[in-house]
Order: sequence, then C-alpha cells, then structure tokens
Amino acid sequence: MTIYIDVLFWIRQKKWLLIALVYGMFMHHFVTPPPDLTPAAFDALIIISMALILIITEPLPLPAIAMFMLFMQVVLRIDTANNVASSFMNDAVFFIMGSLMLAVAIVSQGLDKRLALGIITLTGNKTWRIVAGFTAISAILASFIGEHTVAAMMMPVGLTLVRYAHKDPRKVAGLTAALLFSIAYGATIGSIGTPSGGGRNVIMMNYWAEFGAGSVTYLEWIKYVYPMVLFQIPFTVFILLWTFKPEQKNLDSAVRKLVVDVARAGKIKGREWLAIILFILVFLGWVFLSEDFGLGIIALLGVFLYLSFGLVEWQELNRKTNWGVILLFGSAISIGIQMNETGAAQWIAQVIITHLGKVIDNPAILQGSVSVLLTGVMSNILSSSATVAVVGPIVLDLGGDQILIGYATAIASAFGYFTAVAAPACTIIYSSGLVKSKDFLRAGWKMGVLSLVSLLGLSLIWWPLL
Amino acid sequence: MTKKKTPFDPKSLKFLTAVSSAEYSKPTLKMGALIASVFDASHGVVYVGGKASEFHGSSVNLTRQNLDNWNIIHPGLEVLEWALDELKKMSPDNKDLAKIQFNSDHVYEEDGRVRVMLPDDKGCRIELVLREGELVDQLRKEIQLEGYDLAIIGGSQNKRYLAHSILQYLPSSVFVLQKFNPRKKYKLLLLVDDSKATDKSIEWGALIAEKLGWPVQTLTVSKTKRFGAGYQGAADKAKAYFDAKGIEIEQFFLTGDPVRTFVEFAGDNHFVIMGASTLNPVKQLLFGSKPIQTLKKTDVPILIIR
Repeated sequence: MTIYIDVLFWIRQKKWLLIALVYGMFMHHFVTPPPDLTPAAFDALIIISMALILIITEPLPLPAIAMFMLFMQVVLRIDTANNVASSFMNDAVFFIMGSLMLAVAIVSQGLDKRLALGIITLTGNKTWRIVAGFTAISAILASFIGEHTVAAMMMPVGLTLVRYAHKDPRKVAGLTAALLFSIAYGATIGSIGTPSGGGRNVIMMNYWAEFGAGSVTYLEWIKYVYPMVLFQIPFTVFILLWTFKPEQKNLDSAVRKLVVDVARAGKIKGREWLAIILFILVFLGWVFLSEDFGLGIIALLGVFLYLSFGLVEWQELNRKTNWGVILLFGSAISIGIQMNETGAAQWIAQVIITHLGKVIDNPAILQGSVSVLLTGVMSNILSSSATVAVVGPIVLDLGGDQILIGYATAIASAFGYFTAVAAPACTIIYSSGLVKSKDFLRAGWKMGVLSLVSLLGLSLIWWPLL
Repeated sequence: MTKKKTPFDPKSLKFLTAVSSAEYSKPTLKMGALIASVFDASHGVVYVGGKASEFHGSSVNLTRQNLDNWNIIHPGLEVLEWALDELKKMSPDNKDLAKIQFNSDHVYEEDGRVRVMLPDDKGCRIELVLREGELVDQLRKEIQLEGYDLAIIGGSQNKRYLAHSILQYLPSSVFVLQKFNPRKKYKLLLLVDDSKATDKSIEWGALIAEKLGWPVQTLTVSKTKRFGAGYQGAADKAKAYFDAKGIEIEQFFLTGDPVRTFVEFAGDNHFVIMGASTLNPVKQLLFGSKPIQTLKKTDVPILIIR
C-alpha cells in the first residue's frame, strides 16, 4: 500500500512534468506543423513551450530544465551537439555569472552600514524623505550594480528602521510597506538604466548582436534609457506614500538608534575602500571597454580582482552563487538562437502581425504595444530575465527598428510590479514576511501605469530627439 | 507466524505541530501542547514557510545572510522562538522547559531543513524545525524523517483542496484543528465501525477523555437498518474498553449516509476521533473516503487515526 501512496505522491508533485511530457510527445508525434513552418522550427517551439511550463510550475530544479532544453535540441535533430554547446555559452551568460558573483563579493564587504549612514545623513528623520532617499539610492545603485545586490544591501537598513520604529512591524504596516517597497520598486525602476542593471539588458544586447541588429555601447544605453529612471523616481515615491500611508511622519528615535548601530562599525576601512575602488574600475571597464571586451568578460575580470585581493573567498562565491540560473539562461539563450535560425521566431511574429494587424493598422504602434504588453505580462509570471530570453527573438522579428524594440522590451521586462516572483528585489522584500501579495497589487497597478506612461513618453518624445 | 500487537505505550509517541505565524497558530500550538502532554509524547514544532522561486532563491539567501549580520533573524525562526515562549507559558510549572533558551545562532541545516539546537533540553523532548516549501510535501518529509505518529495542523482556508492531500499523503495520524476555540467545552465523539484503525481510535480517545475529563459519545452509522456483526462488535469493544477505564460513555447507533450523519451529529461542539480509511489509495484518490469527506464537510476539530 505504501508503494502506491509513494507513486501517487510522486505523481502529485510532478504532475506538471508529466503534463509537459505528454503535451510535448503529442505535439511532436500527432500534430502536423503548419505549412509555413519547418519541422525543426516546430520542434523548437515545442521545446520552448515545454520549458515554459516547467519554469513556471517548477516541478524540477532549474538546472534540470536547462539540461532538458539543451539535450532536446540534439535529440529532436534541431542542431548538432557542438553547435548547441557553442550557442549555450556567450558573453550574456558570462555577464550573468559575473554579476551574480560580484553581488556576493560586494554584499559580503559590509558596505551596507556605510550606505545606511549616507542615506540617513542625506534624508534626515522625516518619513517621506527617508522613503524618497531609499527609492532614489536604490534606483541609482541598482542601475549600475544590479537590483538583487542593492536589495540585499538595503533590506537590513529598511528592516532595522522598521523595528526601531515599532517593536511589532505589523502594527506599523503602512510604514513597513512604504520602506520595503521603496527598496524593491526603487531597485526595479533603476535596473533598466544601464546594461549592467540586470542580466536581461545584456541578454537583449546579445540578441541584437546575434540578429545582426548592430551593437549598442554602455553609454548609448544610458543615453536612451536613463531619463526614464530619473523621471520615475519622484512619482514612485508619491505612489508609495499615497498607497501605504505610513503611520509615523517622523522616525526620529528609530533613526537615532540606527545611527548608533551603524557608528559601531567605526571608520571606513582600507578593505572597504579597496572593494569600492575595484567596483569603480569594473564600472569604468563596462563604460569604456565593453565594446571591445564584452560586459561579461569585464564582470569576470572584476570577480578575478576581488578574489586576487582576498576580498572574498572562492568557497563563499561557490556556495552563494546560483549556478542553476546561469545554466538556465545559457540554455534559454541557446534555444532563443535556434528559434531565430529555424524561423520559429519569425513565424510567431508573423502570426501576431497577421492577427493583430487587423485591429491596429499602424505597424510601429503594433510592434511597440505587442513587445511591451507581451513582455510586461510574462515578466509577472516568469522572471524578468527569463522573459527577455524567451520573448526577445520573437519581438525582434516583429519588424521595425530592432534596437528601439529591444530597448522597449528590456524596459518592459522590469514591469514586474504585480507579483513577488518577477523581480529579485520584490522576492527579497516578500521573503521578510512583512508584506503581502495584495500589497504588490495595491501599489503595482499604479507603478504599471506610471511605467507605461513613462515608456510612451520616452519613445515618443525623447528617442526622436536623439 | 501471527503478527503480535504492540502494547500501547503513549510515552513512545512523537507528535508534530505545524505553525505558520504567531498571529494565527496560537490555538493550534496550544492544542498540540495539550495533546502531547496528555500522552506524555515528545513534541516537535515545525514552521513551514513559502519558498522563493528558484530564480531568486540565491538572492534571498544572500539577503538573509546579510540580515544575520544585523541580528535580524529569519521570520520562521521568529515564529519558532515565539512557539517556544508559548510552550513555556502553557506549562509554567515545567522547570526543565523554562531552562531551555532559544538561540538563533544555534541552528544547523540538514536534510533540507533547518533545526534549532536546544542544548538545555533535558527531558522535555522538544524539537523546533524550520522548513520551506509546499505544506504537505514538507510535513510528509518531516514525518518520514523523524517518524512522527501524529501531525497537528490548523484549519486552513483552502481546506477542501488540502483535506485530500493531508489525509492521503501524510504517513501519520492527523489532527486538524478547524475553528478550534480553546475556551469552548467540547464533547469527544468517537466514530466506531469495523475498520482496522478503530481499536487505536478507542485507545487514543480513552486516554484523551481520561486526562481531559471530556464527556464521551460513540457513534456507529450503518447505511442500512441492520447493524452487522462487525459494527456491533466494534461498538461493544469500545464500551468494554471505556468501562474498564472507568469512563462513562453514551452510545449512538444511527442509520443513513455515514458522512452526512457524522457531520450533522458533530454539529459545532464535538471533537471528532475517527479511524483512517482502509480503501486502496487509488480509490481514495478517485472517490474520496469517509475521513476525507468528513474533514471537508465538518468545521469541528477532527483527529484521524492511522
């Protein structure tokens, strides 16, 4: 009897794996590909749709899904083993690997205490100013060092303030939510600002190169996108204060206690200066050398320097880096490239244009709205980077200016305000147990409207000026 | 060779209470502690929290390690600390328990869970465990790992969905505290039939009634007007067992649909004890079982003995 229960339980836990397998086998064996789609393109679509089911429902660890996407390309004869292997590793994957390791290296330096003191010195004790300071600093820092790094560093500062403000943070739910969301949404709106703000930006740059759309430098990206970051900061502060209405207008006592706490760390040490200098060097490398060397290689060089100067141990990097995500992005980009090469991405783009073209007759509006809406919706279900990896090849085949469509897609992938799963910063504040899913909806729809309007303004007013 | 029945030794039992927050889990923890004290069983408390998506799992872990540097502990550890404090408050005379100190630094990860070390635990037999993931999956793993005999779970809002999984997949007896009010006077309602688990239900029911002094009613329901030898024999056995313990019981024999009759009889002032289903797991999955249907339809605390 126990064996039956074990089997039934396994089926319960793995039902989405079984559904994905049955779906895949049915599609491959019993469904004839549309006449304008090659068998290889059809199989690429089957693999990517199976992978999407598995990524969203997580019946398997991410590395297993990554391996599935790789071996299925060879098993279904879409490409040879060597070609699949070479499409798996590229500069975007190097960048994701490097930035995850840089996050570990930076967070482990204890610079968050310095950051806390800096913010408090700037903002003073008033709650609205602290929320504004958190949002602005999170946004600006996240645009360079990535949102997950910023959220990991800012969370202790936010939580400490909340706990000093009231023994039970649930009794000051408005204040708690305003402070934590200022970190999460600040980091999220900032992550679009530069290529190094998020892995998804670099994935898009990689697709531009793969699709022959040309290359964009670090500074060009900033020129096109950073105005949107700056524009959104004050409105985000307004939305958070309007939505969550902090119970305390002044955090005098909490700020004093925080300053005492932080002051115990003493003066900034040589080791911390070195960590900051190394990151500035990496940043300068991204700005001035990435066209020649690639963003990923420079990120890896940064990790090499942190290891060489003994600022972080390899064991720590090894333990805290999510290797599964790296494998997954490598394989998602690999299947994305196959979607382009087999014509699957063009076919989906054509289907979208044919059907939606009847509703929207302006091609530019059609391309823009499809890329933004598709990316925005999917990033709230998947993660933002995975969305760009999957949607990127399709939207770049919609026609029009691939660079501008790419910018719009990368920007829209940061619209994951509605759920805790989309952006790492949102997952991080949710893991505190102090904000609820409905809080994401309460503030998220307003942020969604703000971001859509900002993107529209950017594309209609700013980009034509450049 | 005939299988020898193991004598009933309450002290050897291990009970596990699942808690989710200080806000909602107080009645569950209180009942868990009370039942564990009735049996003098060892008592584990497990916090099962949500698990971050694998995409951002490492970012969440990185943040948590950084929070440790600021002395901000995992929300689940806060709940376990609260649970230990509550257990102490519930047993103010227990000097051994009072000595146990919670230290969030004294935790270690093993077998996909985090266990709080309680070095001062001398004879209190308390375990504090943190797990992250889906509730039924994590409880099943904990029960299998530690060999718990009873899982005590609070009534959940998505009870209809969970009832099936809890009863089918947890390899222990299960006590679901639905709308449990610690101040309310409950009657103990023992559902007696010819199932294998009835004997154990009688033993557990008698011990609870004896220690808590609750009035006992037994209910036997037949679909037809005729009560077969199995049903009659089980009811007689129950009567004899309670008589031997010196506990008075009221016996009821009703006819009709068993689940509907159980639910109507239990009303809102009974504490129900019934045996787990002996149907094969596939049939249970497809058609349900009496315990599953009863758990879905009733709102009173229900203890299902396996």
